Amino acid sequence: MISVGVDLGTSTTQLIFSKLTLANTAPAFTVPRMEILHREILYRSAIHLTPLLGTDTLDAEAIAAILTEEYRLAGMRPETVQTGAVVITGETARKENARAVLEAISHLAGEFVVATAGPALESVLAARGAGAESLAKSMGKRLLHLDIGGGTTNLALLDAEGRIVQTGCLNVGGRLVKLNPDGVVTYVSPTLFGLDTPAVGERATPESLAPLLAQLVAALEEAVGLRPATALLRDRITDQTISTQPPVEALSFSGGVAALLDEKEENWLAYGDLGVLLARAIAASRLFTLPHDLGRETIRATVVGAGNYATELSGSTIFHRHAVFPLHDLPVAPLEKENLADGIRQGLALHGYDVPIALALPRQEALDYDGLTRLAETIADGAKGQGREVPLVVVLEQDMAKALGQALATLVPPEKPLICLDGLYTPPGSYLDLAAPVGGGTALPVVIKTLAFV
Amino acid sequence: MDRQELKEMVAQLLLEMDKPQPAKTAGSGDVLPDLTAVDLRGEYLVENPVNGEAFRRLKQKTSARLGLGRAGSRYKTASMLRFRADHAAAQDSVFSLVPPSFAEENGLVAVQTKCRDKEEYLTRPDLGRRFDEPQQAVIREACGKNPRALLVIGDGLSSDAILANAMDCAKAIRQGLKTHGIELGKTLYVQFARVGASDHIGEITGAELVCMLVGERPGLTTSESMSAYITYMPRPGIAESKRTVVSNIHRHGTLALEAGAHIAELMVTMLEKKASGVDLR
Repeated sequence: MISVGVDLGTSTTQLIFSKLTLANTAPAFTVPRMEILHREILYRSAIHLTPLLGTDTLDAEAIAAILTEEYRLAGMRPETVQTGAVVITGETARKENARAVLEAISHLAGEFVVATAGPALESVLAARGAGAESLAKSMGKRLLHLDIGGGTTNLALLDAEGRIVQTGCLNVGGRLVKLNPDGVVTYVSPTLFGLDTPAVGERATPESLAPLLAQLVAALEEAVGLRPATALLRDRITDQTISTQPPVEALSFSGGVAALLDEKEENWLAYGDLGVLLARAIAASRLFTLPHDLGRETIRATVVGAGNYATELSGSTIFHRHAVFPLHDLPVAPLEKENLADGIRQGLALHGYDVPIALALPRQEALDYDGLTRLAETIADGAKGQGREVPLVVVLEQDMAKALGQALATLVPPEKPLICLDGLYTPPGSYLDLAAPVGGGTALPVVIKTLAFV
Repeated sequence: MDRQELKEMVAQLLLEMDKPQPAKTAGSGDVLPDLTAVDLRGEYLVENPVNGEAFRRLKQKTSARLGLGRAGSRYKTASMLRFRADHAAAQDSVFSLVPPSFAEENGLVAVQTKCRDKEEYLTRPDLGRRFDEPQQAVIREACGKNPRALLVIGDGLSSDAILANAMDCAKAIRQGLKTHGIELGKTLYVQFARVGASDHIGEITGAELVCMLVGERPGLTTSESMSAYITYMPRPGIAESKRTVVSNIHRHGTLALEAGAHIAELMVTMLEKKASGVDLR
């Protein structure tokens, strides 16, 4: 499967192509288990500055031109790309025309390329792209991954098993202040309110910027739990920060600023922003008193995450009939064990009866056949109000989707499309994209997003 | 050590043995804790490990008896006892019978191979594949002539496996086939069954496809593992390579319901392609 990853960041625009290899990893004579066995990066684009028209508008045409050229250099055509994600990250997502830009470049992507944004997904992709999961696992420590980019720092907290347990996002980045080659300040991000910021037009020096950098680094130290949290941290939070109880035991870094951590750049104005100074300040801070490591990818972590890790596979014993793939932007309706049918009715009332939604079942006690039948009856009853031609989509974690799907198939109208998937963890508030099945119909590629551009 | 010292030592030991023992194990009426109730995957017994947590995480992935610690060059008592307990459970499962009420309670048609008892079943595999005349008549009567698909449950080498999994799996198979418009007839329960019994059943009934759920030879990990052997046009003498197997159906492997759903789809594919085993590609 060929996958594309595009990262439209605050400061840079990048693209990768990779090859995802699927295989059945189950031993012979057992039920199949399809997995993404191998992720090979086929092509990495150059790192382009994100083209802007003024300060608050993305230059859609220039972005499309960059991507078209990179497709040509890589020898790829949109129709050969089967999956992937275009993520719009950091401050860029807040630009006025973010959605219009995604539309302008959507023809470049293949059929199942997901356009998405949102700090939580960005944190997850950056941590995965940087290899934080295997790092936490091999260290056996509670690890916080920091992806320090131009506009924001994305946080992903991992437990000692290497699972991402929480994400956060702070307005701390290298490009929140821009300077011309003479050191004259040309831009100060409004997110820096309350800090010792320079004025636009002022000639800055490393010394004059030191108080601001100290504040930004202190905010990171507070986020990690090395200092008690104050307004410094609270004012930087874009959606949420991570919990520091139990304490963070190790750190890993990625992002453009992290790339400068071990690259001793002498000229602090090399990139015309705070990046070099911020990297120096981080290296001299309390953050480096914890065990720490650079990610496998630094500046490319998010784009590698988007290309390699945005797509997941469902479990391999699943059920689907009459469904037309791909399905885009299915809102997830999280369900509780109690009053399951009512929960389904509420989900339908909220999202509408004529659009597909993903009913996310809670964890079930070990079920026997009668329990399974009752569960199917409850679901069918709750979903009765849904349009006959609208696919009924059920997702859950436990391996029972095929049995549940077959039970449901006898209960809903025979022409109603039905999809039942397992092996998926869907956080509340997320959206699903589902692609056509792979591996002889045994598993579906799925992208779980935190924000949908419909 | 000279003779005299040795004598004294033996005398001392004998003296100690004569002393009344504090009632520690026997006679107190307490029930000893059930060794087999402990989940070995969470148990790491090495003393003073460098990184016991990391080893424990690895252990979650295997049922192998690792990280048990040792006393000198040997197992500790607990490991030794657990090994013997698991072995005993495996043997019990082979030697015990599925209760006679099982077939009746679940609406199955009970038949028996030519084996007269468990002893004969274990020592004469050939008899576990054949039915005598009266039993053949029961099968003919229950299954009718030339059914498309037959479902058979056989005790095989583990009664535990059948009690734990067979009915959930069988119901899921029936349900799954129904979604494809295939109605199963009566389900047979075969006592003292070898997999090859499906071949004789195929010959007796003229069935196109026979699926047999059968208890696997128990191992030390679980005694509850069941397999499904599915054969297209099973007739005595058919090559083993013509069978499709779905194995490891148990609580910690593939769950019975999900396995049943998968088997149902496999059966549909086999009927479409008119093949099973290595012929099914």
